[in-house]
Amino acid sequence: MSNRGAIHHTMLLGALLQVALPVVMLCSATAAGAENAPATRAVCDAPVDVFFAEEVWAKVGAQKCIQCHKPGGDAEESQFVLRDITRGQDSEQDNLMRHNRDMFARMARLIVNDRSRLLRKVVGELDHGGEVVLPADSPGYQILAEFARRVNAPSTMTVNEEPAVDASVPPFFHGVVMLDNRRLLRRITLSLAGRLPTDTELSAIAGEGLTALPTILDSVMQEDAFYERLREGFNDIFLTLGVDGNADQTVLSYEHFEKTRHWYQNHDLSDIQDEDERRRAGYKLANDYRQALLEEPMRLIDHIVRNDRPFTELVTADYIMVSPYTARGYGIFDEVKSQFKNPDDPFEYVPVKLKALVGRSTSQNQESATGFYPHAGLLSTFQYLTRYPTTETNRNRLRARMYYQHFLGVDVLELAARVSDAAAATAKFEIPTMQAAECVVCHRTLDPVAGIFQDYWRFADQGVYGRRKEGWFTDMFPAGFEGEDLPADERWRALQWLGERTANDPRFANAMVEHGYYLLTGRRTLLPPKDLEDPRYAAQRRAYQEQRKQVEAIAAQFTQAGFNFKQILKGWVQSDFYRADGLATAELTPTRRTELDDLGLVRLLAPEQLERKVAAIFGQPWGRLTEQTAMLYGGIDSKEVTERAADPSGAMGAIQRTLANDVACRNTALDFSRAPEARRLFPNIEPDVLPGASPESDAKIRETIVHLHERVLGRYDDRNSPDVERTYQLFASVVADAAARNDLDRRESYYCRQGLEREVPDPHYSVRAWRAVVTYLLRQHEFLYE
Amino acid sequence: MSKHQSEQTMRRAFLKLCGLAGLGLACPGGPAALLRAAPNEEPPYEGPYYVVFNASGGWDTTYLMDPKGIGGINRLYQEGDILTHGVHKFAPTAQHKQGGLSNEDFYAEFGDELLVLNGLDYSVNNHSPGARYMATGKLDSLAYPTFAALVAACQGPTCPLSFLTFGNYSATGNLVAMSRVPYLPSLQRIANADAVEGNVRAPYHDDFALARIEQALGEQRASRTAQALLPRRQRAESMLYAAQVNSKALQRITPYIPETIPKERLAQQAEIALASFKAGVCVSANLSIGQFDSHANNDPDQMKLIPEFLEGVAYLLHRAESLQIREKLVVIVQSEMGRTPTYNSGNGKDHWSIGSIMFLGPGIRGNRVIGATDEGQFAIPVDPQTLACDKDHGVRVRPEHIQEALRQFAGIADHPHSQKYPLGVKDDEKLRGLWG
Repeated sequence: MSNRGAIHHTMLLGALLQVALPVVMLCSATAAGAENAPATRAVCDAPVDVFFAEEVWAKVGAQKCIQCHKPGGDAEESQFVLRDITRGQDSEQDNLMRHNRDMFARMARLIVNDRSRLLRKVVGELDHGGEVVLPADSPGYQILAEFARRVNAPSTMTVNEEPAVDASVPPFFHGVVMLDNRRLLRRITLSLAGRLPTDTELSAIAGEGLTALPTILDSVMQEDAFYERLREGFNDIFLTLGVDGNADQTVLSYEHFEKTRHWYQNHDLSDIQDEDERRRAGYKLANDYRQALLEEPMRLIDHIVRNDRPFTELVTADYIMVSPYTARGYGIFDEVKSQFKNPDDPFEYVPVKLKALVGRSTSQNQESATGFYPHAGLLSTFQYLTRYPTTETNRNRLRARMYYQHFLGVDVLELAARVSDAAAATAKFEIPTMQAAECVVCHRTLDPVAGIFQDYWRFADQGVYGRRKEGWFTDMFPAGFEGEDLPADERWRALQWLGERTANDPRFANAMVEHGYYLLTGRRTLLPPKDLEDPRYAAQRRAYQEQRKQVEAIAAQFTQAGFNFKQILKGWVQSDFYRADGLATAELTPTRRTELDDLGLVRLLAPEQLERKVAAIFGQPWGRLTEQTAMLYGGIDSKEVTERAADPSGAMGAIQRTLANDVACRNTALDFSRAPEARRLFPNIEPDVLPGASPESDAKIRETIVHLHERVLGRYDDRNSPDVERTYQLFASVVADAAARNDLDRRESYYCRQGLEREVPDPHYSVRAWRAVVTYLLRQHEFLYE
Repeated sequence: MSKHQSEQTMRRAFLKLCGLAGLGLACPGGPAALLRAAPNEEPPYEGPYYVVFNASGGWDTTYLMDPKGIGGINRLYQEGDILTHGVHKFAPTAQHKQGGLSNEDFYAEFGDELLVLNGLDYSVNNHSPGARYMATGKLDSLAYPTFAALVAACQGPTCPLSFLTFGNYSATGNLVAMSRVPYLPSLQRIANADAVEGNVRAPYHDDFALARIEQALGEQRASRTAQALLPRRQRAESMLYAAQVNSKALQRITPYIPETIPKERLAQQAEIALASFKAGVCVSANLSIGQFDSHANNDPDQMKLIPEFLEGVAYLLHRAESLQIREKLVVIVQSEMGRTPTYNSGNGKDHWSIGSIMFLGPGIRGNRVIGATDEGQFAIPVDPQTLACDKDHGVRVRPEHIQEALRQFAGIADHPHSQKYPLGVKDDEKLRGLWG
C-alpha cells in the first residue's frame, strides 16, 4: 500500500506523539503544592538524577508513561503528568527531566499496602487507567522497583554520584578510522554537486586540512548541480513529484482555475509550419508545463536555501514559486512576466504571492482578511495537498500524519502499541476516537491538526480548496495544535497559524537535521531500542544516544545560524558519522559490533546519482538508468514506489554488470582517440605500452592504474600496493592471454569503437585489456556506493 | 563426490555464508575458495516457493471466508444464503461480483486444499502498523523482516531474485536484497548482462578477458574480507559481490517469459514470480493489489476486488500447474485488517481489527477452518493445543502466532536469521498442528 493510504477514523494505538506545554512555563511557574505543577526554581537548580535519566526515563518513562501522562494526554487529569523532553533544548531539557523525576519520586514515595503506588499502578492495580503497562517480572518493572527503593531508602550518595555509564568504556568512535580529507572531499563534491573535486579544492584541503572545508562547502552549495541534488533529495522525503494524473488538472482545480489551467491548448504555435512538428511542440509544451507545476514545491526549497533564507519558510513562506508556464496556469503571467529573465523558459521560477482564490460561484471564493491566498510554505501548496489528499472518511488525518512526520519528525504510525482487544474497544464507544483511551492517546493530538486543514476539503481531481458544506466534524477534537485551539478569527489562515507554531517548535529543527541526514545517507536516523530484554539493548541504546547527541548539536547550530539549511549539511559532512570509514582492528566484540552496526555512510548510489557519477568521471552519463531500468535499479516513482533500494538484488547486479561493460566499452577507445591532454582516463600512456616490455613501460602502466584508481574509485593507492598489483595482473593477463591466440581481430570490437575522434588500432589487445580494467573497476564497491 | 560437485558445494556454502552478512559476518574463505566460487553458476533453487497475496487496504472477510448475514453485517445476503464446501462456509458472490472469480467457483476448485483461520486478531486497525504486523509478526519494530524475506534469506540467499515484491510491507531486516521487477520485458533486458543489448552473440568481452575480470573481482573481494571494515561495509561488500555473481543465473528466466503479457494486475505479478521460480532464481514473492479500503460503498468495492483477488490466486495456481511447479507452491492469502460489522453513513465499512487468513500448498492439509468470530464479528480465542475455539481459556491468535507457525512450517524457526528476530511466542501458545 502506498503511503497515501489513509488514516481513518479509528485508533492510532500508542504512537509516539509527544505533547507538552511550552517549555518556558516550567521554571517560571511557582505553583508549589499542586501535585502536577511544573518544577519549581529549587528543582531547576538541582542536578539531574543520572539513574533516573538513563534508566527510569529512557527505558520506561519515555517509552510507556508519557503516551498518556502528558498535557493533552488521556491521563492529563491524573496527578502524574510528565513533560516531553524532546520539546526542550539544552538546559530546558534538564528542567523537564527534573520535573519528571519529581513526578516519579512522589509516586514512588506513596506507599499503599506496603508497596509503592508507582509499582502498583504499573502492573495495573489501583484502577490504573492504562491497565497493565509492565508485568512484574519485566526488566522495566525492575528498574522502577530499584528507583522506588532508592527514593524510599536513599543512601548517603547524592543522585549524581552513582554513574550510570561505565567511565572505563572508551569513547564511541574509539578505534573507528575516519576518511582521509581528500576522499572526504571527493565524497562531498560527488554527493552534493555531482562532480569530482577541482585541483584548487584539493590543494586547499591538502594545505589547510578540514579547516578548508566550510569555504569549499560554501562554494559547492552555490552550484546549480547542488540545487538539483537538493530538490531530488527533498522529493525523496516529500514525494510531491508523485501527484497523480495530469498536474494541470489535479493541482489546479476546475473550480478556481477553469479558464487558465489549460492555456497550452490555445497557445499560438502557428509559426511552426510543419503539422507534425507543431503537434510535437504542443505535446512538449503541455509536458513541460505539467512538469513545471510538479516541480514548484521543490523549487521553493531551492529558493529558500539558495538565498540563505531561514528554512522555517518551509512552513511559513508567504509565497509560492511559479515559472512562466505555471504562471499562465494560475492566470497571473501578465502580472509577473517582467520578473522572468526568460519568459519562455518553463523552468525558471520566481516567488509570487497568489491572490485569494475566486471560484466559479461566489460560495467557492476563498475567505481572506488580506486579499491574498494564505500561503504557509510547502504546507499550503496545491501540490502537497494533492499528494496527500483527503476523503470523506479520512477527514484530513493523512495530512495530519504527514505533517507530523515531515515537519516535526514524529511518525505516529511507526511504533504502535498492541492492546488486548482493539475491536472491543472500538465497538464499546460511540465515538472511539474521542472516548476510548486507546484511541484518544493519539487522536487527541492528531485530530486537531486534521482540523487545521478543514478548508481544503475537496477530493481527488476536484481541487483542494473548499469548505465542507455541513461544517467541520463535531465528532473530532476541534482544530488546534498540541492543546491550543485554533481561534475562530484565524481559521482563514489556519495553515499559517500552524506553520508559525511549527517553526517555533524545537522538534522542527531536529526534524530538519534528520532530513539532512536522509539526504546525505539515504537512510533515517536511528530509533531508540525498545526491547529491554534484548541482550543488545545497551549497545543499541548507546548507538542511538550518540547519534541523537549529534542530531541535537547540529540542530542547535542550525537554529543559531538563523535556520540556514546549509548549516545542517555542513554539520553532518564534518561529523564523525559522515566521515567514519573503517576500523583500526578487525576484531570486534559482539557488543561493539552492535554499537557500530549502522555506522558509516555506505550508501548504494541511486540511479540518478550513479548517472551523475559516470558523467563526472567519464564526461558523459551512461544514459540508460532511466524509466523502467531506473525502477529496476531501485529507483522510485514518488507514487507507489517511494523507498529507494538499499541493497542490490540480483537484477541490480545484472544492471551493474551491463553498466560496467557498456561504460567501459564507450569510453576506453574513445579516450585513447583523443589528444593526451584531453584524456580523462589515459593521459600519460599509449596503447603500445605493453606489460613486461621494460621497467619503464611497467612503471607507466602502474602510474596509469594509480590514476584510474583515483579517478574511478577515489582511491589514493601506492603504485606498489596490492590493489594496484591486482589491477596490473588483470591487465597483463589479458594481454598475455590474447597474445597466445591467433584468431583475434587487431581492432577493438565494432560496438566499442564507435564515435572515436581518430582510429585506435589494437594490435596487441592492450586497448581491450584496458577496457577490461575499467570494467573491473566499475563493478567495485567504491564506484557503486557512496 | 566429484571435484566439480565439491567445488559447487563449496561455492554454495561460501555464498550462503555471504548471505549471513546480515548477521554481521563477513564472507569467509580465502582467495582460493573465491576463485573456485566466482566463475561457476549456482544451481537452480528448486522449491518450495512461497507466495504471499496481500489485499491491501483491508478486506471484508464477511464477504469471503467468514460469512455472517446477520445483524446488518451484510447487505448482499442473509444468513440462510451462506454456502458451504466441505467444512468451509463462504459468502455467495456469484450474483454480485463485478468481474473476477466468485467465491463459489474458488471454493469449488480449491476448497479441498484450503486452510482458513478466522478470528485473527490484527490487534490494530491502521494500515501501516497492520501491514507491518501481519508481514513480520512484530508490531513494535521496524527492523524485523517479513516472512517472505526471511524465508528467502534462509533458503535461497544466493538466488538473484530471492525475494520479489510488488508492494505491501517488504522490510528485509538486512538479510536479503529486495527485488522489484515491475515489468516483464525488463527481465529480458537484463538476462544477458555481459552481451551488447543482451545479444549473446555480441559479448562485450572475449571469454578469456571476462574470466580474468571475474577472477580479479574474486581476489579483490577476498582481500577485503581480511580488512578491518565497519559492519555496514562488510554487509554491503558481501551483498554486492553476491548480487553480481548470482545475476548470471538470470539467463535462465528468458525461456519462461510469456510472449503475451496478461492485463490483470495480479496476473502480471504472478507471471514474473512464476518465471523466476521456474528458473530457480527466486524463493518468495509478495503479490499485492490495493484499493480494498472501502470506507465508502463497501459492497460494490469488495465485490469488485475480492473476485479480482481470487482470480489472481487462481491464475497463479493454474499457471504454476502448466509450468509444473504447482506442487511446490505455498500460498498465503491475507490482508492487514478487516472491515467493521456495521456500515457507516456512506455505505462503507471502516477498519476492524479482526479478520482471517488462508493457506494452501504442499504440507498444508486442506478443507479445514480454524478459529472463528462470534455474531458480532469479535474474535473467539483458540486453544493452541487442540486448535478448537475456547472462549474462556484460549489465546487470541495474533500475527506473531501465524508467523511463528509459518517459520516452523518452512523449517526455518531455528535458523540464525530467525533467531535474530524472535517473535516471543511462548511454547504453550504455539499453534500445534496448524498445518494438519
